[in-house]
Amino acid sequence: MLAQDRRKRLTEAMAQSGIEALVVYGNAWQGDYLRYATDFSILEGHGIGLILPDGSVELFLDSATEAERAELETAGVTVRLAPEIARGVSGRLDRIANHRIAAAPLGFMPKFLADAARSYKLEDGTSLVDKFLMVKLPGELDVLRQAAKLADEGYKVFREAAVPGRAQFELIAEIEAFFRSRGCPDNFMIMGSGGQDVMAMAPPSERRIAKGDLVTTELTPAVQGYFAQICRTLVVGKATPVQQRAFAVYREAMEAGIAAVRPGATAAMVAKAENDVFRKYGLGEYATSKYTRVRGHGLGLFTDTKPHILEDVETVLEKNMVLVVHPNTYHPEVGYMVLGDSVIVTETGAEVLCGTPRELFEV
Amino acid sequence: MRRGLIAWSKAELPESIFAARLKRLRAAMEKEGLDALVAYTNNTRTAAVSWLTAFVPYWAEGLLVVPSSGDPLLTMAFSNRIVGWGKAVSCVARFQGTPRIGLATGKYLAELGAKRVGVVELEDLRNAVAADMIEAAPQAAFSDASPLFERVRIRPEPAEIALAAKAGSIAQHALAAMRGDEARIGEALETIEGTARLAGAEEVYLAAALDLARDQRFRRVDDGSAAPGKSFAVRATLAYKGSWVRMTRSVFHNGHAPLGERAAEIFAAATSGLPSTEGFARFRSWAIEGCRTAQPLDLLSSSALETQRPLAPDSLVTVQAVIDLDGHAVALAAPVLIGGAGLPSAALVPPVFARG
Repeated sequence: MLAQDRRKRLTEAMAQSGIEALVVYGNAWQGDYLRYATDFSILEGHGIGLILPDGSVELFLDSATEAERAELETAGVTVRLAPEIARGVSGRLDRIANHRIAAAPLGFMPKFLADAARSYKLEDGTSLVDKFLMVKLPGELDVLRQAAKLADEGYKVFREAAVPGRAQFELIAEIEAFFRSRGCPDNFMIMGSGGQDVMAMAPPSERRIAKGDLVTTELTPAVQGYFAQICRTLVVGKATPVQQRAFAVYREAMEAGIAAVRPGATAAMVAKAENDVFRKYGLGEYATSKYTRVRGHGLGLFTDTKPHILEDVETVLEKNMVLVVHPNTYHPEVGYMVLGDSVIVTETGAEVLCGTPRELFEV
Repeated sequence: MRRGLIAWSKAELPESIFAARLKRLRAAMEKEGLDALVAYTNNTRTAAVSWLTAFVPYWAEGLLVVPSSGDPLLTMAFSNRIVGWGKAVSCVARFQGTPRIGLATGKYLAELGAKRVGVVELEDLRNAVAADMIEAAPQAAFSDASPLFERVRIRPEPAEIALAAKAGSIAQHALAAMRGDEARIGEALETIEGTARLAGAEEVYLAAALDLARDQRFRRVDDGSAAPGKSFAVRATLAYKGSWVRMTRSVFHNGHAPLGERAAEIFAAATSGLPSTEGFARFRSWAIEGCRTAQPLDLLSSSALETQRPLAPDSLVTVQAVIDLDGHAVALAAPVLIGGAGLPSAALVPPVFARG
């Protein structure tokens, strides 16, 4: 049903724009455009979808294993195995070369397909799809609420698994197993453990959790392809007054950011609200790109979708966008610290999806 | 996008391995008159860059430049805070974080004065990255270096065979840890996932054919409460230190457990004939995949294809098959080393056979 609703939205937009064919690209890193149009979550190789005005969809995959899976996991899609995918799709587009064809995201298309020497011309259709990736349908919001609940449950498992002596990857084995038990086939996570030496989060390493460590994580489980995120920090043992004081800044910043979320506000306004708190406490330097990437970002079929919450991003927030607001950054006295909740932009503000308390947990 | 342990294991892949690979690559480049070779990576097309540097990205994308002489440069679309992590898990002379990897790569090629540049999978390269690179290196002529790279990397050294065997062993162990009588498929997958990651798997993709009698195709499971049928199969696609394998375990109840053992014998007989695929003719379906350039498991030969790619002697592949036995379908998969110089082909790790 969700897939049909998304496809209807796309074909209506194509009709309004005079686009006669839409080509979408996806791989396991950037799979949201492909999933939106074809309902397939690609894991291996390249995937390219062709959407026509009548709503028919052809899905080209260069992996036989993936093509078999796509036959089972998608409905109303013609799956085509194309080991030389760029040439295979190009041959298909040759047959409609006199049509207006848009590609999304254009920059991700294989070089051969986008080459000017082809018989067809690909217009940039990225923004056409971007709007739908950002502003969700009611059914998409319901699924994201489920994903956020799963993130809460996952963090509970994480807290219980973060015990001294355990290597980071052993801790994560428990989390991933939990998600798998719940029928969640995908999760994006990074983590950190240690003290002032930790400048960022990364994939789990062989580093062992030790007493006194700050342990950070962002968990981003997916339900039906939609990712919701939670970011939390815990202390192994009793938190020091310095750690508690530092954490209070992050909580104030996140709450200021969430309070700034409403239709008509910009991503920049949310980032500024978060960063102003850091500046108020003399920590403005730690809200810069030297120490942090973004102050939050969009969520949906990609874990890090538009808009990025930064002071120079003027994207206007609209009702039914979904964001994570996270003032994650380095703190000079305690190291890297994170706190973040997923939210839906409502008519009047924000609906917070995460239910885990906003505290510096002690385990 | 799940990530497990990403680490460069110097015990399993010492620096000397990468030095030897670079030497082989450069010798091939010299023969073709290339001044530099460029390879792309992201968290799904990891194999070319990981073979040369041990590096596997968990996120973002990158380009590796191997000049005919001088320092290789790996550029990743990482912030500087993450570059330190990248350096710690890779074996490369220079590692740089930049938002525009094509631009940085092109500038380096210009700095090197590289005129003839080979690109692995040039046709498939993301066009925005290619455009940046080409614009920043106006002196260079770019050509596809996929055949060259494939020739250089296709014959695995003992270290690469050992990694594939280790990946297979982790998958085998994880699949064997599933009891087979779980009421919920989620419970079975939980066991497999947890066991594999505890053993150091970098990545695990699980898929299931929940009722083998009805459909032998595999899908991801998004309902953990689903009940497996009387015969079902789980496939683990697993990565360990950049080496990818697939293994499948079929489970039978109702007294059909010996089917798996017989199927494993038939599978072994068919795979021993590789690179010839004649032994697969009686199978319901089969697919042979292996790493040739950047895709870890590239489709080489399959019952679904009309045109097969030739299989090279002395190369690593993963074989998937569905075999009909006494009216039952059995699904199997295992990594196989194709023999050469008189040696037969054989599975690195035997398929996990059924125990009901």
